[in-house]
Amino acid sequence: MSTAPVARTGLRTGVRAYGPTDWLGGWRALFIGSALMTLPFVGLTIWSFMWWTAGFDKTHPDFTTYWYRLFQAEIVAVFAIAAVWWGWLIRSGRALAKQAVVTTAEKVRRVAVFWAYIALSSMILYWMAGYWPNWDGAWHQTLVRDTALTPPHITMFYFTFPMGIVTSVATYIYGATRLPELYSLRKGVHWAFFLLIIASVLETMQVAFNEFGHAWLVVEEIFAVPYHWPFVTYGWLAGGIFALWGETVLYLFRVAKEHAQLQGGEVAAQERYAA
Amino acid sequence: MTVTTERHTGLLVGERTMSTEELRALLTQKYAFIDRKWDLVFWVTATFVVGAACFITYILFAGDWDFWTDWKDRLWWPTVFPASAIIIASALQYIQWRAWRFPTGATYTAVCAWLVVYIGRALWWTGMHDYPFNFIWPQTLVLGGILMDMVLLLTRSYILTSLIGALVWELAVWGTNYIMLWPFLQPTEWMGHIMTLADVQGNAFIRTATPEYLRIVEVASLRTFVGETQYVSILFGATLCFLAYWVGQFIGRYLAVWPIGKFIKTP
Repeated sequence: MSTAPVARTGLRTGVRAYGPTDWLGGWRALFIGSALMTLPFVGLTIWSFMWWTAGFDKTHPDFTTYWYRLFQAEIVAVFAIAAVWWGWLIRSGRALAKQAVVTTAEKVRRVAVFWAYIALSSMILYWMAGYWPNWDGAWHQTLVRDTALTPPHITMFYFTFPMGIVTSVATYIYGATRLPELYSLRKGVHWAFFLLIIASVLETMQVAFNEFGHAWLVVEEIFAVPYHWPFVTYGWLAGGIFALWGETVLYLFRVAKEHAQLQGGEVAAQERYAA
Repeated sequence: MTVTTERHTGLLVGERTMSTEELRALLTQKYAFIDRKWDLVFWVTATFVVGAACFITYILFAGDWDFWTDWKDRLWWPTVFPASAIIIASALQYIQWRAWRFPTGATYTAVCAWLVVYIGRALWWTGMHDYPFNFIWPQTLVLGGILMDMVLLLTRSYILTSLIGALVWELAVWGTNYIMLWPFLQPTEWMGHIMTLADVQGNAFIRTATPEYLRIVEVASLRTFVGETQYVSILFGATLCFLAYWVGQFIGRYLAVWPIGKFIKTP
């Protein structure tokens, strides 16, 4: 991609202080979103380091105090976050749909914000499949597996996995409401979103098979056991995220081309007037 | 400019090959709103999903041989680990070569996966559970990634990359990590038994949920091929890498690229 200093001159909407591709303009959502996404996981990590020794035995009162309460709080938090986030996206999206004209700069800003949503989906997949599984492995290979509610499971399966669903659905709602030229519901359900969302849904459901397998086949923690493999194959479905990046890049080129044609038309009109 | 003076780039546009001049004009064209920030955001934010995808793939197919030095045997480790790690590297190779003609997908995957696993091992395995880092060190895929990307760049063929690149990947992944493993394969006497330093580590640092009887090392009769076990395993591992490369190609082609512009029609 080439740099384009021409982009910024005279194309700001007038109501926004920064352009759609300025770090503090369209990309601001990326920084705010990343910080908000990171915050609960930093908190859970600190919590885990402080209270992991209270998680050895589910029958101990300390387990209830530090881990079972956390489990309950996570479930409530996931539903609350989903309700607020999705609700705001749908409500504001309906208001935006009534706008007759969307400027080029606004279209580009929405793509930048959409990329912030994709980035959040990418990050949550890391917390799901990269960050917590490390603790899960360290815990189960060296300590115990007494129930489905061991500390690494409480942080991973019952908060991070559902948050994967919440984030990917939020990304879909943003795309459908803010980028209707690409993802309007009238066109149907986009395959990339279907794959991205179903990956998180199936990962969450796979938790049950995992526990079933541990109870029935191999109680100990061999990581390569076949009943772990669906976690991998379901995760591959999240490859749809690349289609979202690719599709919006193509859309950006289309928007830029339309913009150039509009600009060309204006120049030609001015030349005619001058003549 | 005449047709005879055109230098062809090999980049297909529709049914014709784009000339160097056309490609240069395309690359230097100024686009409104399209700048390097998009590239930067993509490369940085994709790190998370790529690293996690590669990590979760090899950790759940071959993680036990990845975690500990005493699981890294001659038979199973070179057979299962490189083959499970090549899958996402292959997918990214397809995506990046298809999108930008960048022969970087495998290297990018290797670096992302290394970041993910390094953070995990340092934070949880050593930081919380106190295992010494020289017992649980993360393996590297970087040299394998660079060489496999080189094969793609030189051959410009997925088929040849799957044949040659997979073998190169197997040898490089095994070789680079074997250098790190080497010191732990030195023989030593412990409680009247001759064993490797890696075995001593496994005995000294208790893993209550992974007892010794679960350790899958040197299982099967291949070890009776005196002096040849490792080479048979490596060659078989390369065969598995070839097959796994095409699993990765499936992911790249049909899960990552095919969905562009595709909708599930709703009534």
